[in-house]
Amino acid sequence: MQTKIERLEKKAQHIRELLLKMCCRAGTGHVTSAFSCTEIMVALYYGGLLRFDPKNPEWAGRDRFILSKGQASVLLYPILADLGFYPVKELDKFNSADGMFGVHLQHDVPGVEITSGSLGHGIGLATGLALAFKMDREWPMVYALLGDAECYEGSVWEAAMFASHHRLSNLVAIIDRNHMGATNFTEHMVELEPLADKWRAFGWDVVSVNGHSFEQLLGALDGLRSRKVAKPRLVIADTVKGKGIPFMCYDPLWHACVPKGEKQKMALDAVLKGEEA
Amino acid sequence: MKEGISQRDAFWNSVFDCAKKDRNVVVVAADMGAPSLDRFRRDLSSQFFDVGIAEQQAVALATGLALAGKKVFAYAIAPFITLRCYEHIRLDMAAMDLPVTLVGVGAGFSYEDSGPTHHCVEDLSVMRILPNLQVHNMTDSVMAGAYGAISCGLKHPNYVRLDRQLLPSLYREGHDFSEGVSVLKRGKRAFIVATGNMVHRALDVAKSLSKRFPDIGVIDAYTLPLAEKPLLAALRGAEKVITLEEHTLPGGLGGAVCEILADNGVTVPIRRIGVRFESTYCYKYGGRESILKRYGLSGADIANKIGSFLG
Repeated sequence: MQTKIERLEKKAQHIRELLLKMCCRAGTGHVTSAFSCTEIMVALYYGGLLRFDPKNPEWAGRDRFILSKGQASVLLYPILADLGFYPVKELDKFNSADGMFGVHLQHDVPGVEITSGSLGHGIGLATGLALAFKMDREWPMVYALLGDAECYEGSVWEAAMFASHHRLSNLVAIIDRNHMGATNFTEHMVELEPLADKWRAFGWDVVSVNGHSFEQLLGALDGLRSRKVAKPRLVIADTVKGKGIPFMCYDPLWHACVPKGEKQKMALDAVLKGEEA
Repeated sequence: MKEGISQRDAFWNSVFDCAKKDRNVVVVAADMGAPSLDRFRRDLSSQFFDVGIAEQQAVALATGLALAGKKVFAYAIAPFITLRCYEHIRLDMAAMDLPVTLVGVGAGFSYEDSGPTHHCVEDLSVMRILPNLQVHNMTDSVMAGAYGAISCGLKHPNYVRLDRQLLPSLYREGHDFSEGVSVLKRGKRAFIVATGNMVHRALDVAKSLSKRFPDIGVIDAYTLPLAEKPLLAALRGAEKVITLEEHTLPGGLGGAVCEILADNGVTVPIRRIGVRFESTYCYKYGGRESILKRYGLSGADIANKIGSFLG
């Protein structure tokens, strides 16, 4: 019998396959940015963490998932299709004239909360949602997924300061720490480290995990609904940009690129075989 | 009548009255106060949040609160809550069509002693082009009080632009502001379309020119984008149109009027009067009137310009 972890790993592989095929068909999409956070989003949506109802996407009691790194929408769209928010065949129309969505995130897609694509917006919005739920003594949790290079945006730190001051313990931010921006490694641009210490100094309850390990992700993200700590939680998920397709990893030039020709076949084979980076 | 009360206090008093009855009304301030807000902070503290000098967070927080069903006001000095936060407004408020009201104090040169950091003379150009969002440029404290209540019931994004200067009331309590433009002085062949504090100046100039030109009409355009039908109706029969604003000419009220007239095939001579920067912003002081004179916006300057245009 499959364990929960094995089930999640299989699901992550399936979602990677769906998104890679979707992007290859359309010839566009941020594949590597999406592959780095696949386990994070699969853990949230399939690991029993997020509360949602695909038949009623606007259900007021749902948890809110704020995908602040909107370039990873190509990961969220297949997940929402797979969960039944809309038909999987919608993925065939990605970036086409009669399709529902393009490369960046848009709020009118069922199951999506915000429009995103410009960075540094999501966590501020998430503080507003979390504050509203606290004001009304309602129980939804708010999860925000940020890219690590998004932390260069000053607005992220404005929001971080506000969240800890107001003890928004119903807010969980996750940083996809894949160590890259669009064109370079973060530590070669402007050092982000010591990233965990910076967030701790801003008053957050910080946990660092391997962002491709479901055991570690579930350990850091589960049980937060009833915890006693009056601080927002930050999970720094250490990841590899392009994880699952070895030749696309550790190379900034693959940002926002889709493999073509023979490389496309190699990429799909790697995903189907579950190759390590 | 709200004589003797600032636009800011008239506005916040009105919001306070709504917020007492509706706990979903929330104010987010970016280290900004007002005597009328002290009461809000004290009596409705659970509905008041100060983010500090962090205007982007004010807008993002307000948007998140609105996503959860709150009716939110985000308040700061006008150029900071608009120009500094423009992309947050564009993507969070306008694109998602959320009921957040930005409240900016300091229209035009009303921070007269503070230089270009605090002058707000470009915001109409950039705010009026956003989808779903309406700009309301306040003419007097009666209008500001009305907009406090109107904003609590809006379903779309909104920007209320307040003047710091105490201006006499042109409207009576209970006036219907839904059309976005008001004819304050009936005219025949020539009309001045003005906004904000310049509406007062337009009325004064029309009066001073009344011997030579007895039929100059004055229209207050307080909501942008301009509502086409009421504006065209108000300008029916116009042979010449003047626009007047304490705002830069590119993209401002004058441009908005020209766009509507052009789109509707109305071909009349138009003279736009507003601020035209020569090389840099305004680093001059000595009071608002002194600044206005420098830009050709004193009452006499405007009367001369209009006189020669109509002449």
